[in-house]
Amino acid sequence: MSAAVPSAPEATSAHSVRELRRAVRRRWGFRLSVLLGWAAFVGVWYVVSLYLLTPQQLPQPHVVATEAGELLSQRDFGRNFQASILRVVAGFLLALLASVGLGLLIAYNRWWRRFLVNTLLFLVSVPTVSFAILSLLVLGVSPMGPILNAMIVTTPYITMNLAQGLTGVDRRLIVMSEAFGRTRAQMITGILVPASLLSVLGGTRLAFAVAWRVGLLTEVFASADGIGLQIRRSFESYDIRGMLAWALLFIVIMLLIENLVFRQLERLLSRWRSPDGGAAP
Amino acid sequence: MATVLIENLTKVYPPTLNNPTQVQALGGLSMSITGNVFVAVVGPSGSGKTTLLNIVAGVERATAGSVRALQEGVPARVGYVFQEPRLLPWRTVVDNMLYVQDRKSDRSRREAEFYLQMVGLSDVADLYPSQLSGGMQQRVGIARAFLVNPDVLLLDEPFSHLDALTGRSLRDYMQRIWLQTRKTALFVTHDVTEAVELADRIVMLRPGGTAYDDIAVDLPRPRRHDDPAVRDMQDEVLRRFDAMGAAVRFGAHA
Amino acid sequence: MSDMRAREDLAGLRSLGARSGPKAPPTMRGFLQRPWFIGLLALGLLLLVWQWISWVNLQVPGVGEIARFMFTEISGGSHGGALSGEFWAPLAVSLQRYAVGLAIGVPVGAVLGMVIGGVRWARGLFNDTVLVLLALPAVVWAFLASLWFGLSSWGPILAVVLTVVPFMAVNISAGVRNVDPGLAEMSRSFGVPFGRRLHHLLFGGSLPSAFTGLRLSFMTGWNSLLIVEWFGSTSGVGWRARFWYDALRYPGFVGWIFLFVILITLLDRLLLSPLERRAFQWNQRPTLAFAEEA
Ligand SMILES: Nc1ncnc2c1ncn2[C@@H]1O[C@H](COP(=O)(O)OP(=O)(O)OP(=O)(O)O)[C@@H](O)[C@H]1O
Ligand SMILES: [Mg+2]
Repeated sequence: MSAAVPSAPEATSAHSVRELRRAVRRRWGFRLSVLLGWAAFVGVWYVVSLYLLTPQQLPQPHVVATEAGELLSQRDFGRNFQASILRVVAGFLLALLASVGLGLLIAYNRWWRRFLVNTLLFLVSVPTVSFAILSLLVLGVSPMGPILNAMIVTTPYITMNLAQGLTGVDRRLIVMSEAFGRTRAQMITGILVPASLLSVLGGTRLAFAVAWRVGLLTEVFASADGIGLQIRRSFESYDIRGMLAWALLFIVIMLLIENLVFRQLERLLSRWRSPDGGAAP
Repeated sequence: MATVLIENLTKVYPPTLNNPTQVQALGGLSMSITGNVFVAVVGPSGSGKTTLLNIVAGVERATAGSVRALQEGVPARVGYVFQEPRLLPWRTVVDNMLYVQDRKSDRSRREAEFYLQMVGLSDVADLYPSQLSGGMQQRVGIARAFLVNPDVLLLDEPFSHLDALTGRSLRDYMQRIWLQTRKTALFVTHDVTEAVELADRIVMLRPGGTAYDDIAVDLPRPRRHDDPAVRDMQDEVLRRFDAMGAAVRFGAHA
Repeated sequence: MSDMRAREDLAGLRSLGARSGPKAPPTMRGFLQRPWFIGLLALGLLLLVWQWISWVNLQVPGVGEIARFMFTEISGGSHGGALSGEFWAPLAVSLQRYAVGLAIGVPVGAVLGMVIGGVRWARGLFNDTVLVLLALPAVVWAFLASLWFGLSSWGPILAVVLTVVPFMAVNISAGVRNVDPGLAEMSRSFGVPFGRRLHHLLFGGSLPSAFTGLRLSFMTGWNSLLIVEWFGSTSGVGWRARFWYDALRYPGFVGWIFLFVILITLLDRLLLSPLERRAFQWNQRPTLAFAEEA
């Protein structure tokens, strides 16, 4: 019988010690280059702001950071942030709901597949600014605009991923289940749901980023509050510092959500993928 | 006592887009299996062996003829070991086993672990299939088939993807387990030596899916692959197999 | 927002759509399955929904009204008062800006992506920067560009460049990194020289994601251009839409927005898709495992 536990690496041989050293050096070299990258980013920002443009046109990094810090401590920030995020989440959940229905139709009905795939493809190619401006006309200044647009824009992504997850299921597993007399319900929970979950989640990460940006854009055009409106206000009063500070906060929040929520979720759900139990490559 | 009655079984795959001619996988096969015997079905690639098992398992429908697998007059429960492991990749080994079980109880997990132990896997219950070697996965597939306490055991070339050494040790496992449980077994293979080692009876299929020969293997168990009696029998069956090959010239078919 | 996933997602979208079944027999059912019929049906439905909205919401112009207005606009007729139609001039200005922006942004982004994907330390150096630039909403670029350049054409062009570069870089670098390591090993073992490796292996291997990057770039670049023109320009299609919006002539405003969509769709159909078909001649685009029998 072969052992279930992998054998320990032969750390004693001189060869592998050298390998290990090289790996460590490479890792630290990489970290150094990341650090250098950030330094260069900030450095270039300073150079552009001081020499190419003026500090009025592009405030220096520390100015923007200070401004962002001040914004964070104001009540204004909480209110606007909450408004934005709630809308995006609402639109996103609506899209998720719609996608389940559409995804099932695409996966299991040929006619609907042709109809929906073409329509959704078209929807993806529509410039998001059109939705943002049109909602100004159709819905006026209302919180429904960002919600609806977030939903419209993200639905195609989630739907297509769901449909792919459903259709990519290994048929041999279904045959296996039938041979062992499993019911439809057992096959759905045992095979279809896990197979489609991960592919949906993969699409979800991208979709959330898209929703977050479309929500913002719609707020720029048609909203009474939210981060988007604050950016527009700053623009209209030539307050570049405020605008960049809001944008900075927006990016930080977006990256946080992506890495803390979605990436972790993905890692959790894809434990089975690779031998070390880590996330998918 | 389980019986499997196969009468005039025919399976024809209709023409498809990428294959304009129809394919006859089985052409009027008849055989009957009664009692706790281990029957091997050998035949060249494409002679309808997998199709036969699929129809017995009820996952495919016959074009004509009938298959009845009965246990004391009621439909028999089958356990199927596939050509590949066919484990759910997102479930741990033990959850894969429990997936095919009807009654879930506190005992289920212990039962699953018992059968895993029987195939020589005791510490892998909570690992994912991707963390096992191919041979280990195949053994989980075997344990899964035994877990459902089958009346009829269907085995589709379970050792063909494995290296010679692993294959031999798994064959030994299989023989040991079968001696303990004595399930009615239908074992598909294209390896004649393997068939002689395990089976009481060998049915030879020829391309087109009809029976060519039916050989009784009357050797004492447990059998060892290096036992001269086994060797002689293997030579004998191989000769008949070659004779069939010359007769149908399946080289042209393969 | 767009990492490797974006590539796969879009590739997935395409492969779902691209799978054309056997030619349907000329029955009623077959007729209903024709792609052009389905396309027309979708378009008709869209117009119907719009028309319905215009009945519910009186501010929203109907389809007929929009069509009449745009006809006047395109033919250069009078809209009443001193306002006359203007179509080709704004279109030419915008397309020019768009073309210049893409001509700068696409190569820069592509080279950056190749370097990030192929050279380890460059990945460390540039990757985070590109991701931050990618996360920056287009509207911020648009505002910055129009504040820096005022009403000149450089604002819109810069906005296009700045949105396009990170999209290209991210997708191409993902493509380069996804080139089969087995193939790379094979090439090295045969001693294939670097130049040929770059051409056949890296370039060929990253082509699918390059196309995704290109498609996303076309989309977002157009988007940014429209935003800049809407907020800070006195020429171009974005400005024209804004003009009619401010003049409360909603048929013109909506008509121009429809034109944005039509233009980008045409670009995709007439330029990108044929290119893509040629580039992928060797490769049957992936189809789904589950087939028509489901
Ligand atoms: N789903 C199917 N559709 C069409 N033809 C099929 C299908 N399944 C099997 N066949 C055909 O039926 C014949 C028998 O196939 P089968 O899988 O039963 O062979 P086999 O004896 O198990 O071969 P092997 O030893 O290679 O596994 C083959 O010619 C195969 O091409
Ligand atoms: Mg087979």
